[in-house]
Amino acid sequence: MREFICSICGYIYNESVGIPERGIAIGTKWETIPDSFVCPICGAPKSVFKPHNVTPATPVPLPVNVDDEHLESLRELSTGELSVICSSLAKGCEKQQLTAEMEAFNKLSEYFKSKTFTAPQATTLAEVTKLLDDDIAKNFVDANAAAHANNDRGALRSLVWSEKVSVIMKTLLDRFTKEGDAMLENTRIWVCDICGFIYIGDVPPEICPICKVPNFKIIEIKRR
Amino acid sequence: MSAYRNIRLCSKDCMCLYVCPTGATDTENSIIDTTKCIPGCTACATACPSGAISIIPNTYPPQQQKSKTVITAQRTLGIRKIQQEHITDAITTSSESATTKQFAQAISKSNRLMAEDILRESGYMLPQSTEVHELLETLLKIDTPDFPKDTVKLLLNKLQKTKQ
Repeated sequence: MREFICSICGYIYNESVGIPERGIAIGTKWETIPDSFVCPICGAPKSVFKPHNVTPATPVPLPVNVDDEHLESLRELSTGELSVICSSLAKGCEKQQLTAEMEAFNKLSEYFKSKTFTAPQATTLAEVTKLLDDDIAKNFVDANAAAHANNDRGALRSLVWSEKVSVIMKTLLDRFTKEGDAMLENTRIWVCDICGFIYIGDVPPEICPICKVPNFKIIEIKRR
Repeated sequence: MSAYRNIRLCSKDCMCLYVCPTGATDTENSIIDTTKCIPGCTACATACPSGAISIIPNTYPPQQQKSKTVITAQRTLGIRKIQQEHITDAITTSSESATTKQFAQAISKSNRLMAEDILRESGYMLPQSTEVHELLETLLKIDTPDFPKDTVKLLLNKLQKTKQ
């Protein structure tokens, strides 16, 4: 009997246990579970499950530490980045109970947002899916390598969370392409206010499956 | 330093009320009256059995240095999440279906949160850090008439720099 682990939240499916309350009998082989199966904790699709307790392959050697001095100087921040940095700093002030400073950063964030992408943009969800595909295939790989090479655990933390959020987002976009509005017709949609995890269902999990914050910080996005 | 009570954690054991020498912890809205706090007194936070009171410092240590390689990679990814936020933002106004708008709004919010977290880890975590002060100084050079320069000045004035 084998085990399979959800790469998003760590839930383990054990073939010898099954999930009888969801109609998956004791002893059900992983291969015979339908592709429509989703993680009972976080809603991730079957495709993100990996064999558990299998001897890992030889680790890939880490890239050699890059000597920063040889890199070109950093480019200037764009208005989009400034908007995001300011709204993030506003939250940093809020955590320290610095209300006036929080409001000031939010004001700057709004200013920079109003100066960003004023030209008409491609407006289909397919555009987002395309960008996400490249993020998962390349940009996360590069960023993870950079963070590993510099032993930057903070950057790694942000990458672990946002990569998982991106994988979930991508599967939801794929589902939405197939099912359309019916996907959300009789249910609710939630976003974790800390890491951005998206959950579809009537009640969100007790803690966020990605960042583990209690669910009072998982906020419902209402239909208007 | 000032004391802050997290009301979600408070188990109403009232130790903070008993140990406070000035009555700062006993208020009608549950928010500690920091104007009554004695500087350096941490009696309420020490006595609280549920860990609901924390002491917020005025000064912070310098932040961890970020390597240029990490900053560049984080920014590359951050910009992509910002693009995705803007595309979905546009859908929330252009789409005619309330459900599609709702879905796009969730994706937009999620992208914003990811971008914030990714760029926070490019050297802009702590509002009081040298990096943020330097960033604010460069913003003062913006000459567009509608730019709220006074807001930047207020921040430079109020945010106490980290100890060097």
